Amino acid sequence: MTAFLKSKGIFGGMTLAVAAILVLLPLLLPSATLASEILIFAMAALACNLLLGYGGLLSFGQGLFFGAGSYLASLAMIHGGFGLIPALLAAAVAGAVLATCVGWLSIRRAGIYFVMLTLAFSQMGYFLAYTLSKWTGGDNGLLDVPRPDLSLFGIRIADLSSAGAYYTLVAVLFFAVFVGARRVIDSPFGSTLVAIRENETRAAAIGFDTRHFKMLAFTLSGAVTALAGALYAMLINYVPLDNIAMSMSENIVIMTIIGGTGSLLGSLLGAGALVTLGDILSAMWPRWQMLLGLALILIVMFLRGGLWGGVEHALDRFLKIREKGNAP
Amino acid sequence: MLNLYLFQILNGLGLGMIYFLISVGLTIIFGLLNFVNFAHGGFFMLGAYFCYALLQATGQFWVALVAGPLAVGAMAWVAEKVLIRRAYHLPHTFHILITVGVALILQEACIIVWGPIGKSIPIPETLQGVVIMGKFAYPKYRLFLILFSAVIGFALWVLLERTRFGALVRAGSESTEMVSLLGADIYKLFSLTFALGVGLAGLAGVLSGPIRGAHPFMGPEVLGLAFVVVVIGGMGSFTGALVGGLIIGLVQSLMSSLWPEGASLMIYGAMAAVILLRPYGLFGRA
Repeated sequence: MTAFLKSKGIFGGMTLAVAAILVLLPLLLPSATLASEILIFAMAALACNLLLGYGGLLSFGQGLFFGAGSYLASLAMIHGGFGLIPALLAAAVAGAVLATCVGWLSIRRAGIYFVMLTLAFSQMGYFLAYTLSKWTGGDNGLLDVPRPDLSLFGIRIADLSSAGAYYTLVAVLFFAVFVGARRVIDSPFGSTLVAIRENETRAAAIGFDTRHFKMLAFTLSGAVTALAGALYAMLINYVPLDNIAMSMSENIVIMTIIGGTGSLLGSLLGAGALVTLGDILSAMWPRWQMLLGLALILIVMFLRGGLWGGVEHALDRFLKIREKGNAP
Repeated sequence: MLNLYLFQILNGLGLGMIYFLISVGLTIIFGLLNFVNFAHGGFFMLGAYFCYALLQATGQFWVALVAGPLAVGAMAWVAEKVLIRRAYHLPHTFHILITVGVALILQEACIIVWGPIGKSIPIPETLQGVVIMGKFAYPKYRLFLILFSAVIGFALWVLLERTRFGALVRAGSESTEMVSLLGADIYKLFSLTFALGVGLAGLAGVLSGPIRGAHPFMGPEVLGLAFVVVVIGGMGSFTGALVGGLIIGLVQSLMSSLWPEGASLMIYGAMAAVILLRPYGLFGRA
């Protein structure tokens, strides 16, 4: 089973597993909106995982790109009359440009300084959004974000106003991002990233321009995160200031690590767990984040591979027991 | 006009000393323990709330000033004993995760105890009013803040540079193993340093209470500021924390009279400039 999921091919097991999850998700969950929310955050976690799990770069500033994507797509639709696809593209491009700028400054430093720099720059974005309240609505958030019809070259393809239709769009985009991310990881670029994660000095000694590779990964991650932010704004028709706050960066990192950084499926698992639990618990107890804090501590103590690591471990054990049972 | 600038410079010094107290704790802990404390802002917030609660209970600011930081430090000492030390051997990612967890618990606990809306803290009676120097008047409390934190800063310098404890901390920052081999009880040293560093954040919280009040969501902002100071000054450097803190305090204070909305923004601009010119900070080592 795990070997099936780990198979390298793009059309191999993991891709099929994700496709199956995408189809089943809205059927298993109480609402398609919740399912969309999970996939949007899974997309953001996946972009974070690409950096952390494969490049060894812990970015605590992913909220900056998420928020920037939300604001940019919304403003482009409200003031620029952008359609759905141009707005999403604009958000992704803006996320890439922003990530290039932040990366250019932050990647000068490695390890914990990199973490602090990304956090500081995301705080800068927060204060910028707060200062430009004429555009962003400041503390009140940006209201009345539209969700335009899906259209291409002026031809209307689908009306997305129902939760189910919007979920389909999000699921298709998530699938595309997932397959794309897998391609990136399996490419020479991905292998080089892993080499840099394992030993940057050695990768540099072989002749790789490690900074260049890290920058590219950061840019890619920024674009995907901004896309997720734009989709989230259209989902809730609103951009709260929280979208660009440190709590957003924190949530994305938590989902990524809780899910597990060894596999892209971990990000889907992490986002699914956190969004679903948040949805259930916040209705029961407004202070549920205290339990989240406790869960983080327990994960560091007992489940360092994250949820995905736990699932893999359980599957391996299950298979071993079955093999033993089958043996004569 | 000149008076206005003098006023803002003094405000900046006070603010800068608060930032110094926060970041020097972060820096000492990182230097010795190689541990990143993302709960630092949370402990600052706890200091501010303790200031509020102790003032409510006793009516004496001096009690809050002494007992507040001690209580925060004691909590950190316990947290280190039962939790934090189990994570030392893990990569930084897990340090961050575990302390983010602690910060969330602190934040939610404060909301449970004191409610989601912030509390304002009155300036202690003896420190109300202004000091008049010729034509120039300056609030007493802010002057007290500058002087008191300067005294604390000096005491801390003496502690780190002139005592056996300080020598051990500095030696441990170079090589923990060597200090341990020379017979020092390294775990005791770790607990004390963690409590000291976090206690300083608590003290900063108490001191800033009468100016900024206590708010359950102030932790992240303070953590971000401490990181900016450390990035500017260089991690693990006492001088760096002092100079970085003062620069940030002055930039924020002077900008708030020129462009109030952008004051917080300029801080990060200053950080970006330092990173461009000196990637390892003003006093950092490569």
